[in-house]
Amino acid sequence: MSPDPLSVIESAGRTAGPRTPTPSAEEQALLAAVLAKDRKAAAEFVSRYADGVYAYVSRRLAPRADLVEDVVQDVFLAALQKLATFAGQSSVAGWLLGIARHKVEDFYRAQLRAPDPLPDEGEAPSTSSTVGPGLDELIDAARAQEKTRRILGRLPAAYSVALLWRYWEKRSVKEMAAEAGKTEKAIERLLARARTSFRRLWEAS
Amino acid sequence: MNDERFFRRLAEKTDAGPGTAGRAPARLKSRLYSAIVVEQSASGPLRSLAATKASGRPLCVFEHVLHVVKNDRIVSMNPCRVCHARVLAEHFESPPIYWPHCPYVDFQRR
Repeated sequence: MSPDPLSVIESAGRTAGPRTPTPSAEEQALLAAVLAKDRKAAAEFVSRYADGVYAYVSRRLAPRADLVEDVVQDVFLAALQKLATFAGQSSVAGWLLGIARHKVEDFYRAQLRAPDPLPDEGEAPSTSSTVGPGLDELIDAARAQEKTRRILGRLPAAYSVALLWRYWEKRSVKEMAAEAGKTEKAIERLLARARTSFRRLWEAS
Repeated sequence: MNDERFFRRLAEKTDAGPGTAGRAPARLKSRLYSAIVVEQSASGPLRSLAATKASGRPLCVFEHVLHVVKNDRIVSMNPCRVCHARVLAEHFESPPIYWPHCPYVDFQRR
């Protein structure tokens, strides 16, 4: 079985023995060659780090798999622009994941800044429910996982992003509002509609 | 169970991302490489093929042809721009390209 690309990228930059948070001599040579516009070095740079960045962005952008490749490309082009100023205070892999994190959050922000999707007909935001799934259903984690991904993929992008950011990324409503340039009330309303839509699909499937 | 608690529990129990994060498709690596080289070419010539070869990085057959020409502009050209291997590799996951030392071929193998 091949190793998880994220663990591969996280281990990149380590040498034998304790973890080194800074680039290895080999990585520094590779970066210098990329900066010198050596095309083969650029190919090696892509080969070495694309899997880890791709794995990270895929996880963070799920279920919007259609956007993953564009965001990964943005990460690499941003890295290229910043390469000359990379101070080497972290591993190259860690630096790239930092850029990727910012790019993903840019995507989240853009989704939340977009006008709210129109609520479905008859949709009423709810804050509580006494019917539908309970803890018992959540016990079957594998099933819940598949179902969650499927439902997030069916929701409007703003809904799925709002839920992902709030619950899976554990961001506060205040933080989300600040990032999206919206009021906390607006984010609460968006979340309420997103939760209602999610639960309706959950209960129907 | 209220909504807030339901979603907190759900997030604890599930990973919203893909079950196993796969490797980047070779097609994507090809696109990334092309984009980087195009970006680098836009701000001036690429490192000469002679310098690339001297640093221990082997050249593909087309690059090798350019490399033997004694002209600075030509040895900094990017033959991938007009190469069928690039076009195929950016659009297909397993294209029929087999040139030794071609980055687009290498992306398929790794």
